[in-house]
Amino acid sequence: MLSVEQVAQVVSEVTGRIIERVSAPTLGLQAGRARSLAETINETLWWEQDRLSKADPTDEETIADKQFYADIRRQLPRVSEAEQRRLLERIVHRYANEIAGRFSPTFYNLAARVGPPMLSALLTGLSPRRLLERETIPRLEQHVIIEGEIANLGRLRERGTLVVTPTHSSNLDSLVIGFAVHALGLPPLTYGAGLNLFRNPIVGKFMHNLGAYTVDRRKRDPLYKQTLKAYASVSLEFGQDNLFFPGGTRSRSGAIERTLKKGLLGCSVSAYRNNLIRGRAKPDIYVVPCTISYPLVLEASTLIEDWLAEAGKSRYIIVDDEFSRWERWLDFLRGIFSLDLKIHIRFGHALDPFGNEVDGDGASRDPRGRPIDPRGYLEVDGELVEDPIRDAEYTRSLEQRILREFSTENVVHPTHVLAFACFELLRRGRPELDLYRLLGSVGPEQSLAMPEVEREIVALLDELDQRTRADQIRLSTVVGEAAARAEVAELVRAALRSFGTYHAKAVVERRGVRLHVCDAKLLFYYRNHLDGYGLRGAPTLVSSIGSGGARHG
Amino acid sequence: MADDTTSDETTPRVSVLGAGNWGTTIAHLIGSNGFPVTLWARNRELAAEIDERHQNSRYLPGLSLSDNIRATADLAAAVRDVPLLFLVVPSQAFRSVCEQLGELVRPSQLAVHATKGIELVTYKRMTQIVLEETCLRQIGVLSGPNIAREMVEGKPAGTVLASRFPRVIEVARAHLKSPQLRVYSNTDVVGVELGGTLKNIIAIAAGMATQMDLGENAKSLLITRGLSEIARLGVALGADPMTFSGLAGIGDLMVTCASPISRNHRVGAALARGLSLAEAIESLGMVAEGVKACKIAYELTTQLKIRSPLMHGVYRVVHEGLDPRAGLGELMAAAVQDDIDPTLVRAAAKGA
Repeated sequence: MLSVEQVAQVVSEVTGRIIERVSAPTLGLQAGRARSLAETINETLWWEQDRLSKADPTDEETIADKQFYADIRRQLPRVSEAEQRRLLERIVHRYANEIAGRFSPTFYNLAARVGPPMLSALLTGLSPRRLLERETIPRLEQHVIIEGEIANLGRLRERGTLVVTPTHSSNLDSLVIGFAVHALGLPPLTYGAGLNLFRNPIVGKFMHNLGAYTVDRRKRDPLYKQTLKAYASVSLEFGQDNLFFPGGTRSRSGAIERTLKKGLLGCSVSAYRNNLIRGRAKPDIYVVPCTISYPLVLEASTLIEDWLAEAGKSRYIIVDDEFSRWERWLDFLRGIFSLDLKIHIRFGHALDPFGNEVDGDGASRDPRGRPIDPRGYLEVDGELVEDPIRDAEYTRSLEQRILREFSTENVVHPTHVLAFACFELLRRGRPELDLYRLLGSVGPEQSLAMPEVEREIVALLDELDQRTRADQIRLSTVVGEAAARAEVAELVRAALRSFGTYHAKAVVERRGVRLHVCDAKLLFYYRNHLDGYGLRGAPTLVSSIGSGGARHG
Repeated sequence: MADDTTSDETTPRVSVLGAGNWGTTIAHLIGSNGFPVTLWARNRELAAEIDERHQNSRYLPGLSLSDNIRATADLAAAVRDVPLLFLVVPSQAFRSVCEQLGELVRPSQLAVHATKGIELVTYKRMTQIVLEETCLRQIGVLSGPNIAREMVEGKPAGTVLASRFPRVIEVARAHLKSPQLRVYSNTDVVGVELGGTLKNIIAIAAGMATQMDLGENAKSLLITRGLSEIARLGVALGADPMTFSGLAGIGDLMVTCASPISRNHRVGAALARGLSLAEAIESLGMVAEGVKACKIAYELTTQLKIRSPLMHGVYRVVHEGLDPRAGLGELMAAAVQDDIDPTLVRAAAKGA
């Protein structure tokens, strides 16, 4: 983890870079016309004023922000170009400082020591105070299974800088990854966490000490976004291992990501290029995709409601959800522990910033496994050349490769199997209904005959088994055993127990020989974990596929 | 950047892999522009003939090739450390050449292929094969209404270079462009690859129409409805619909359907004369790309549930022995849809 001095260096490097970029607009070449510094500053003033006008006027930070911008606005018309540059520098420096957060080494050292048990405590639903009282706590490592391509991570970490890129379904993800990284013996990762997490009553106080920097999604000023990206990039160049959630936000539908945000992801290639240009000793950046698969998801209800409300155009910031309520944590964790559920973290192949696999020594391999020197991708006649359009293309390849890892390393739990099977039967029974009508039509009075569900599950397991053999998806232990023995009773029992435990209503409930779907939305949510695989001939209902990537690339 | 294009060095900075009629033509155009260029031929005798006598008597008889061409049968020599490669090998041999290339190329090299076709069984496009078999990333495709014979005779023409990498277009264009050849750019690699492949199917139908003496109205009907089918399948596979209104779409389709010497046209004509596919191929002496393409298109459109009566009709005539007249009857009797397909209108609106 970076020291306080290094964080200060990162902040000043970030500021310098942004100022350089803004003052040399020929590189940007956006609207054809170079923008003046004053225009850039005015844009910031406009966006920030817009944001502040909607903020709580009594909030201390709001007041401070207003004063700061009032001062800038007063000076702007009267100063020379050199002075304008200084004003802009003040704005960017302030942004960068805010992103870096109030990092305290004392706290950090403490966190490094007590961090892992503290994480364990957080995740096991205990307050830190009870931890200090040395109560016996449930052992997290028994409930988090870390698997996949983990053997080489330590070595890669020594040879270069890691960017861990997980799927994102819950705010617990960053904590679970923090735990996994510690369990693997790796140093902590830094990552951008939404401001709402810092204000979260449960974890807010720990966020900085868990290595997080701040992302304020309410700030829509492009300058702020540039600063944010530069922060991630520069921290990578300083050798700080990073955690990116490349989907940008928690999956609202419950499906794994089928498209990624290329902005942050593109930091890996730019950091690699800058490292080469600066002749750094360890220039390599290794991108490590991983999946986090929960049998139950803490925020499932809020997320699927949001997806259904906006059908994908998510609100982006959900401030008040299950994650901020102790009793939901406790219910959730009690469920996980009492039913002995496992959260699976599966690491995929480590990649270079171009999407090539790297071997245990950090050497890039071509698609047929031959060693290659990726530096060549950035060279013209042996010279390193900056070319943003080219690099955006590389990032698109990286995106596609990460998505493939997500898809193949996705772990299937009994809840997903049962939800998928029930949903398929319901859908096939009412082919005339669109998704919303179908969900609206399902109530607890309707039921599915157990033998019918079991037959559907047997057929589904058969397909899942074939795909697992072809390395296209992964099965949890219970699902794997059920598939191997074509025996579904235990799987159904496990799924029903899970579904009956945490959510306000049981998602699916057994009454005699019939299964009743009590929460169609959650059924849909858990079913979506298997969306887009074409299982049982089911259509893709939520995952965006097709040429979307090409258009937005 | 000037280093890529100046020709004062004698070491070739560009190679063309494949010395068939189109590969040889591309090398000749580059050579005629003053650039030293290496041409790789699988066949040693052919390489020797081109290198020593500046002739390719098998594919371009009677033409004197540019002195700037050096030919070789040594793939490694043609590939190693050459900044720009043109890949011009037949579609069904493309993968095996790429497998060999994989051992030789490096990430800094650029590659443009000029092969019109899709791999049987896998349905892969040529750029997909390059990406699967080699470390090359900065790649593109060259396609358009380019009859080799006319090009080497110095007649004016236009062509399309498509790549997601601006530098690939820039460097390849610098070698190709001349007062006789206009080189247009496109970022839609998928569309340009598919346009060049699928038009061959329509060309078979055009051959039949010519043989049956259906007239010019019928041919125009065939071309425009054919283009609509090409665009529908293309869009479903990720192409930009507008690409099909360009040189690599309608442009290529027009030339292929108009030219009675094209192989696909001749296959269609032979079938309409009542020959079987085997006899038609026999009489032609070579396989026409459209024969394979219509099988692939038939399978893809069936799988993706895309309405393509014309391509299906050609498939059934070519591969299932349907009588062309019966096929025509079915097409003319089928339900009439919108002139401009709604899926294309939507796709075009989305892209805008």
